[in-house]
Amino acid sequence: MRLPRFFAKKRGHRRTGAEVWGSVGEALFHAVLVVGGLAFGGLLVTGMAVPEWRINHDFVAGRARVVGLGLARRTTGVAAEAEVSWQPGLRLRYETPAGEVESWAFRGPREPDRSRALARLDREDLGREVTCWYDPDAARVVVLERGYNWWMWALTLLMPGALLAFGSAGLIRAYGRWGKSEERRAATRGGLGQLVATPVLEQDHPGVPGCDDLVNSPGTILRFRLPLESPENWTLLGFGLFAVLWNAVLSLLAVNAGLDLLGGRIDWLLLAIIVPFAAVGIAGIVIFVRRVFLTTAVGPTQLEISDHPLRPDGIYDLLLAQGGSGAFTRLELALELEEQATFRQGTDTRTERVVVWRQELGSWRDLQLTPGTRFEARAALHVPGKAMHSFASEHNSVHWRIVVRGRPGRWPAFTRSFPLVVFPAAAEKGT
Amino acid sequence: MNPSEAPRRQPVVLVHFSMADRHYEPLQTLAVRYTVEGIDPRDVKVVERSVLWYTEGKGEEDLGVHRFERPGAPAIGRPLVGEFSCPLPLSPLSYEGLIVKIRWCVRIRLFFAGGRDFVSEHIFDLGDVPVAAFPGRP
Repeated sequence: MRLPRFFAKKRGHRRTGAEVWGSVGEALFHAVLVVGGLAFGGLLVTGMAVPEWRINHDFVAGRARVVGLGLARRTTGVAAEAEVSWQPGLRLRYETPAGEVESWAFRGPREPDRSRALARLDREDLGREVTCWYDPDAARVVVLERGYNWWMWALTLLMPGALLAFGSAGLIRAYGRWGKSEERRAATRGGLGQLVATPVLEQDHPGVPGCDDLVNSPGTILRFRLPLESPENWTLLGFGLFAVLWNAVLSLLAVNAGLDLLGGRIDWLLLAIIVPFAAVGIAGIVIFVRRVFLTTAVGPTQLEISDHPLRPDGIYDLLLAQGGSGAFTRLELALELEEQATFRQGTDTRTERVVVWRQELGSWRDLQLTPGTRFEARAALHVPGKAMHSFASEHNSVHWRIVVRGRPGRWPAFTRSFPLVVFPAAAEKGT
Repeated sequence: MNPSEAPRRQPVVLVHFSMADRHYEPLQTLAVRYTVEGIDPRDVKVVERSVLWYTEGKGEEDLGVHRFERPGAPAIGRPLVGEFSCPLPLSPLSYEGLIVKIRWCVRIRLFFAGGRDFVSEHIFDLGDVPVAAFPGRP
């Protein structure tokens, strides 16, 4: 007997397997999630939603006399880890169609501190009349408060809701893949997932990224001004986000510690946590402010090009403009081709970039920039005749870009890149 | 040897391209003729044939299908042969990069009774992009 093969077996360019069994495993996994979500949700509905709904709809209102007071003690956990809580209780006497009934009802939340529960109990008066609601099917079940705890509902329904959503989406996906080859799925692919995952591509040029965002800004001298795609900006954003989030957490801890101090208590553990947190928070702000200063101190870089998108063997004019003040030891302009691959390594998603081709377009030394004016230089760009075109798919891409590298006299060196789109050579024949 | 232990016969898919060197230019018509040998044609339920590109290299594999056909069940008692043709697109061109590679191929996928399938892949080149190398390296 031959067991079903769950995974494909590859020999060179031949592959055998049974994708149906892979789909079965995936469908089973998601079905288990759906069943778990239904069971969990069912327990919550019957254990919490239905009783709360009955109290608000079925229970009968009545007047009751308080004939006794007491504290209900509840112990959770065992032995040394046992936790005790207290809740004030009222012994009520009330009239039902079946006759007079006496039963306990509890008011308010449980208290871990017995003295606080006792203080709440002291505010209740023996002999006074209160409004109560009793169960018509079990008259001894009585409550003193009604209403819905919407916050608790949202929290408790979150987990089964997530299980149901994740499981259902997986089942729908497994149904869509059932018995279909990857070519068939790719040929009929569509929907929201495809829109999210795939980069915007140029029409009639499969795999070539769109360049609409690169040609919507006219230049002052040449036809287009290229947008800046500086890694420095992302680094700056990262430092800024880190500083804001870290210090937000630090503020919460500090407020807690301050309230404790005002109440005459000192939480040494909290203080011990706050001190290193504060050091990191201050360092984060300092680094962020320094990066902002360095980024803005150098001055803006602008690049204009005579035409876009580019074609292999095409020659284009470039205009480089560098603002700022002070001396520049060196300023370089280069055309680069970079490959980018995104892959999973364990649970991480990593991206690797490699520059596979570079051509220097211009280089200037010992520049002296003055405020209010900018350094301008012209250069010619020739795209190689058999160059690879720009390419972008979900996990892989081939990018063309112009890179400006500067070395100011007083500040650290910087790199600013301007993305380009190069069409395939055959586009000229086809269009 | 017990008959149930006998090795299962693997199909052999022979593909003949209209260009002997398997090199095509964008917008050129790709014509392919294929023959499946080594199995009983009656065992095959469906044949899928497609022209597609996929990526190789360091990144996760991406795939784009240019042409996909799923003709009906093969005629009983006749050998498994077929042919199809399609004009190739402008892009993406075949590319041999350092961490990103783009391959074009013709895939013939056979589905057997019981859910098993067999894929045969036949690479061809689209365009004439030279192999990538690190800057400064010949």
